Order: sequence, then C-alpha cells, then structure tokens
Amino acid sequence: MKKQIAIVEDEPALRENYSAALSRHGYGVKTYANRRTAMQAFGTRLPDLVIIDIALEDEAEGGFDLCRDLRALSAELPLIFLTARDSELDAVSGLRLGADDFLTKDVSLPHLAARVAALFRRIDALRRPERAANVVRTGALAIDGETMQSTWKGVPVTLSLTEFWIVHALARHPGHVKNRQQLMDAANVVLDDQTITSHIKRVRRKFVEIDAAFDAIQTVYGMGYRWIE
Amino acid sequence: MSIRLQLLLVALATLVLPWAGCQYAGELEAVLRASQENALVASADTMARALSAEPERVFRDQGDPQPFSRDEGDLYAPALHGQPLLDGYQEDWGIAADLEPLPTTTGYAARLQVAATERYLFLYLEVDDPHFMAEGTDVHPEQDRFDRVDLTLQNPGGSLESYFFATAAPGLIEAQSVVRSDDGVDHATVEPRMLAYWLQTSRGYHLEARLPRTLVGRRLWIAVRGEGGAVAGFTGADLMRGGRLFMATSGLDAVLATFIRPGTRATVVDANALKLGAAGTLRSGTPGDNPRPGGSWYRRFVTADTTRWPMQVNSLDRVNGASVTQALGGHSAAEWMRTDGRDLVLVAAAPILIGTETRGAVVLEQAGDQLLELRDRALGRLFNLTLLATLVAVLFAFGIATLISLRIGRLRAAAGSAVGSDGRIRREMPESARADEIGALARAFEGLLARLDEHTQYLRTLGGKLSHELRTPLTIVRSSLDNLESEGVRADQSGFVTRAREGVARLQSILSALGAAARVEEIIKQAERVSFDLKALLSSAVAGYRDAFSGRRIELTAPPDECSLRGAPDLIAQLLDKLVENAVDFCPPGGTIDVRLIRAGSHYELSVINDGPPIPPQILERLFESLFEQRTGRDEKPHFGLGLYIVRLIAEFHGGKASAGNAQGRGAEFTIVLPLI
Repeated sequence: MKKQIAIVEDEPALRENYSAALSRHGYGVKTYANRRTAMQAFGTRLPDLVIIDIALEDEAEGGFDLCRDLRALSAELPLIFLTARDSELDAVSGLRLGADDFLTKDVSLPHLAARVAALFRRIDALRRPERAANVVRTGALAIDGETMQSTWKGVPVTLSLTEFWIVHALARHPGHVKNRQQLMDAANVVLDDQTITSHIKRVRRKFVEIDAAFDAIQTVYGMGYRWIE
Repeated sequence: MSIRLQLLLVALATLVLPWAGCQYAGELEAVLRASQENALVASADTMARALSAEPERVFRDQGDPQPFSRDEGDLYAPALHGQPLLDGYQEDWGIAADLEPLPTTTGYAARLQVAATERYLFLYLEVDDPHFMAEGTDVHPEQDRFDRVDLTLQNPGGSLESYFFATAAPGLIEAQSVVRSDDGVDHATVEPRMLAYWLQTSRGYHLEARLPRTLVGRRLWIAVRGEGGAVAGFTGADLMRGGRLFMATSGLDAVLATFIRPGTRATVVDANALKLGAAGTLRSGTPGDNPRPGGSWYRRFVTADTTRWPMQVNSLDRVNGASVTQALGGHSAAEWMRTDGRDLVLVAAAPILIGTETRGAVVLEQAGDQLLELRDRALGRLFNLTLLATLVAVLFAFGIATLISLRIGRLRAAAGSAVGSDGRIRREMPESARADEIGALARAFEGLLARLDEHTQYLRTLGGKLSHELRTPLTIVRSSLDNLESEGVRADQSGFVTRAREGVARLQSILSALGAAARVEEIIKQAERVSFDLKALLSSAVAGYRDAFSGRRIELTAPPDECSLRGAPDLIAQLLDKLVENAVDFCPPGGTIDVRLIRAGSHYELSVINDGPPIPPQILERLFESLFEQRTGRDEKPHFGLGLYIVRLIAEFHGGKASAGNAQGRGAEFTIVLPLI
C-alpha cells in the first residue's frame, strides 16, 4: 500500500510541484491549502507523513498550530516543516513542537524525497523489532544509521533528521574535518553557513543537556567541524 | 559675524541716547543762557535808568568831549578803600594793577600809580636811578643838580601851580612849591599839606605822596628828573594838553551797593569806559564754592567751548568788552566772557542816558558757573541714566544672544550627530518643545529626520524582505525545474534547464547575500558568550583561508601565548571571514594579506592588511555603514555593502570598535579593537 503524504501549503504552484515530485516517488499525495481543510481531512484519517508550511493563507503561524493539533492526535506521526522562513527562532520553535525536521524551501525536490524516504525508513526500522544492528560507536556515542536514533552514554538524543545526518557524518570519521559543504551534502540539504552553524550549536546543546561535559564536536575555524573522541 | 556680535552692535546703538541727550542739553543751555542774558540786561537797564535820574551822584564832573588819553598824560585815579600808610610801599593800596611807565626821551625809567580817596589823591612812583643826588641848600628848580619829582597842577581856581618833592635824606618829606618872587627869582616854599615818603632802594627810589584833593584841580602833570637832564613824565602843562585827572565818583560805590544782588558785580563807567564806581563780587571769586568733580568731563561731549569767548581783562581803570562798547554807543548788550581763571562771566551793559547823551554805562557781571553747574548736573544724570540703560540693553542683548547662539549651537550639534557613525538616525532634537522659531526649526529637523529614518529603515529591511519574499517564487521555479528533470528532458533541451538552474543559483546567492545582515543581527540577539582562545581561532581560520584562497599569501602574526577572549567564536570567525574575503577581493593575485593580532593593554587589536589599492580617505568614515558600497566594477559576486556592516555589528557585540585606514606602503588596513573583559 502506498504511503500517504499530506502537504499543507498555501502556494498552489509549490503544492503542485511537491505533489508531482512525491507522487513520482510512489507516494500517495494529498494537498491542502489551509489548516481548516487539513484538519477536517486528518480528523477522518491520518496520513503517514505530513509536510507543513508555517504561514498558511491568513494565518502567519498556522503551521505551528496545525503541528500542535496533529501531535495531539498522534505522537508518532512524522512531521516536516517546509517553509520560506529561515530564522533561527522559527527552526527552534518548529522542532520544539515535535517536528522531525525543519527544512527551508531552498531544499531541492530530490533532497526532499530523500528526507521523506529516510523518515519512512526510520519508522519502519523502529517497527521492526529484530533487525541487523547498523550501529556506529564512537566513544560514548552510539549512532544507528537505520533507525536514525542516537544515544550518548546510553541516553537517547532526540535529533531532527538534519541534525542526525550532521552528527552521523561527523561521527563516522572521528578526527576528520568536515567542511560545511560536506555536512550539507550529508544532510541532503542546501543551507548557508549560518544555518549550519546554528544546527551545530543546536546539536551541541542537545548533547550538553545530557552530559554537561560534552565536548566532542570541535569547530575548526575557516574549515569546518570535526568529531573528537 | 556671530549672532552675539550682531546683537551686541544693535545694543550699542543705544549709545545714541547719551548723544541725543547732550544735544538736548546743549539746546537747553542755550535757552537758559539767553534768558539769563535777558534778565541781566534788564537789571542793567533798570539800574541805568535809576542812575540817570540823579546824574550828580554819578558824574561829579561835567562831561569832557575829549576822550581819555593816557598817552597825552591823562590820569585815572581809581578809588582807594581805606587810608594807606605813607611808607614808600604800595602794597597797602589794595590795588592789584601794574604801574604805568612814564614816557621818557632820555631813557630815565619811572613808573606811576595814582589813586584817590574821599579827601586825598595818592601818588606812587618808582624811579630807577641808582645815583641818588641829595637836595642841596641852594634850591633852584631849574637846575638839575638833584633828583626830584615835579608836580604841575591846575588848582580848583584854574591857575597853574608847581610843586616838587626832593630831599636830602630819605624819609617823610613835604612838597615844596616854587614861587617866583617879584625879582624874578624862584623860591621854594614848603607846602606842608602835601606829604610824601621817600624810600631809597638799590635800584633807585620810591615816592608815595599824598595830596589833598582841595589843592588839586582838574589837571595834574607829573615829571621825574634826575642827573644830567634825565627826565620822564608829562610836561605838557604849558600847552594845557593832557594831564586831565579822572577819578571814581566818591560815594557811588555805596549807591551801587544798594542795587545789586548777591553774586553780581555792578560797575559804572563813564563815556571813556573808565570806572566811576563798582560794588559786589562775583560768586566765582570765592574759592571752594564750585568744585564740580567729574562734571567738567561731560563738557568735552557738548559744544560749550569756553575758549571761544573773549577774555575778560581785569583792568584797574576800565571795563573791556564788546557789550560795554555797545552800551556806550547807546544800546544795551550782553556777552559771555571768561576770566583768566577759566570761569564764565556774563556781562550785561546798559547806557546811562542824560537827555539823549550817553554819559556812561552800567555794567553788570554775573558768574556763569551756576548755569554750567545746572547743565552739568542735568547732563551728568542724563549720562548716568543713559549709560545705565545702555549697559542694561547691552547685557540683555548679550544674554539673549548667548542664549540663542547656545540653543542654535545645541541644535547644530544635534543635527551634526543625528546620523550616527553606525548609520542609525536619532530622531529627537533638542529645543523642539520650544514655541519660538528655533523650536520650529528643531521640529522641522525632527520631521525631516523621521522621514529619513523611515526611509533608511525601509532600505535596511529591504534586503531581508526581498530575500524572504523572493524565496517562494524562486522555490517554485526550482521545484518546477526539479520536476522537469525528473520527468525526463530531451537531450537537446537539457542545456536550457542547466542554464535555468544556473540563473536560479545566482538568484539564490544574491538573495542570501541580501539577507545576510538581517540574519547576523538575529544571531547576535541570541548569541552566547563563552571564553575561547582567539589566537587558536585565528590560526585555524587562517589555515582554512590559505586553502580557500591559494592565489594570495596569507600571513598571521600573533602573540606567542594564548589570547583568551570572552565572546562568540562563531561570530568572530564570521567577522574574520568577511574581512579576509574583502581583502582577497581587493588584493591583487600574488599579493599578501596580513592578519595581525596584538594584545595592547586592555584590548586586542585585530588587523587585516592587504596589498590592494588604498581606500579614498573621504569614504573611510562610511565604510562600516549599512548598504554602503563603493565597488562599481562588475564582479561575479553581488555586493550590497553589508559585509563590513556585519563586521561592525560583530565588533560592537563584543564591545569593540571597527575602523579602516591605509597601511603605510600597503593597501587598506581594517582594525578591530576587542576589549579583553
């Protein structure tokens, strides 16, 4: 059965483009222009994944409200923010509301499809109780490329998809400097330097919350970042 | 010229007030003077009429048509007050006039003074004759064997008589009259009523003589004879020429004294202007009565110039002046004169008419000082008042001007600094609450600045807005291209897609650059400060730049030890990115870019120096402003004048300061000062 994806986006052209691309990848796509119609539909049946724009028609933060409502309906439903707003504050708010990823509209359609696929893969991996462990261990970090879960000293770290991929890219080759472009490619995203910086910052903060002594991600100014054990 | 100076000049215009006051005072003085003249002339007229009613008290003699002539030997005997002692000295006469020299043809010098009392005629002679010839026993008047004084007089009976004074020894002597006896020989007979005192001096002798007026008639000739026929004096007796004796009218002084008022002097003169009587004194004659300290200097400003008035000659026998001459011509007149003591005297003269003949004149003199004093007092007060008014006006004007220029200065300073070096606009202006013109100006400035601020604000946010608003259409284009490619493009069409993608990428980078400042501002708001090693950051960053910009040499100079700084390392790295990118843009290939870190006391100095062209000095100040861009050349990268603005934002976030300059012998030098804290 086809995975059902709902796109809540008020810009018709974008809606159609996303819909066409994801349909091509074999998903069933339903599009909604505003929060009201989306919630009506979701009340009947929940899709497998939702892509939400933050600004919806006359609601500047309609996406956030929708996300909150959806999280009330289902805690596990994969949720991606796809928005033209790229401010740090929006990203933080979106992720705090329980979104699995926060993408700006700079993302290309193949990248979007890759993320969607990754999210589904994670869900599938989580549902499958017995699986071949694809776990990378680097010091206190255990990182599972399949389920896209990571733990630090055994404590799970809740990372967004982008954050996970950044950590994954760094931790796979400890000591190697990864420049921003490499990190962007790893995360399947086109971001500017600042956004990478804030992603790194957010990642660090999440680890620090678990372990105040966390110091594994080192900034190599002028070059990039590296994971040190 | 400053406002203060201008208003000061305006205030000084009030100095015209004292000037006008002086003019007014001058006119006032002229009127007062005229009225004083009129009053004194009227008094003189009254006196003259009163005196002409009893001419016998004024004129003892009949009028003589021949005018008085001293040269002919006419004598004037002023009145003596009191009886002088016969002692050969004249000091006790109380007459301050000089002696009259007697005419001589032989070089024999003698001087004469005549005076009269009620009963006597006094003579005083000084003769320069060092060789005293005593009188011998054989007296003969025609012989010149001894020094003598000859008196020839026409007695009241009308006949001529001769007397002489001579002596064998100095002292009190009697006159001798020469009597021609029947045998034709002259004999000297002593006349005991005529007394004299002969005083011998080193130069000659003095003779003070007293003649009873009963013996002396209308004429008297005096001659002095010495050794060898030396003679001085008048000898016109034979021809009955000259020798007329003019005398003050006795008793007239007392009559006049009844007429005069205090401070006035009255003098009666005869037709020859000879004094017949006088009474009263001028007030100015009394010393200490008219001290006018400070009063006199006002006179310099007004027209009262006393030197143009004629000098009054203090003469024993006459009263001079045009007014007297005019009065003797039959018309009353007045004039202002000055004494040798520089005091002003008003002189009024009125003719004394007996019938239609002018027999004399009354001359009234009055001190003019009262008037001057009056005027001086008025002028002084006027001066003081107007000077005070001027002073107040000047101070007031100066104060107002200072206040105004202070306020304008404040406004000017505020206008000058309204656009700060960070390009931000301060809308508030001082003085805007005031209701006057300066307040209106300040409000106009505020309006202007508000509009400018809105405009600048709009421009500043335009980049962020544009990059945001254009993102959706750009995404539409790109996602459409993505779809197009996924659907499969014919080989001959893929070129178009590739070009469209390149265009989109360029648009993307433009938008990203446009929104960069806004993003940095946002990041700064949330940035956290941590302690880090600035030197390590620089070394790592410079190593990265060497890889990225292989065409230029990038050198790092830093202190040997750790350089700890509290701040946001990511932001500092970004600051360095911008500075180095900027340096690379301007540095020619193969050039060197120097990154220097200096620890200087309480701060670090981070400089980036390149080998490019120097920065024009006039834009140094503005380089760090938002949206300031001087690069006009075509470049593959878009420039919006935000790079150095971001540098400044980050420097200021760290409590530091960004500045630009030109390094000696190199290109541009950008320096960031970061406090250590």
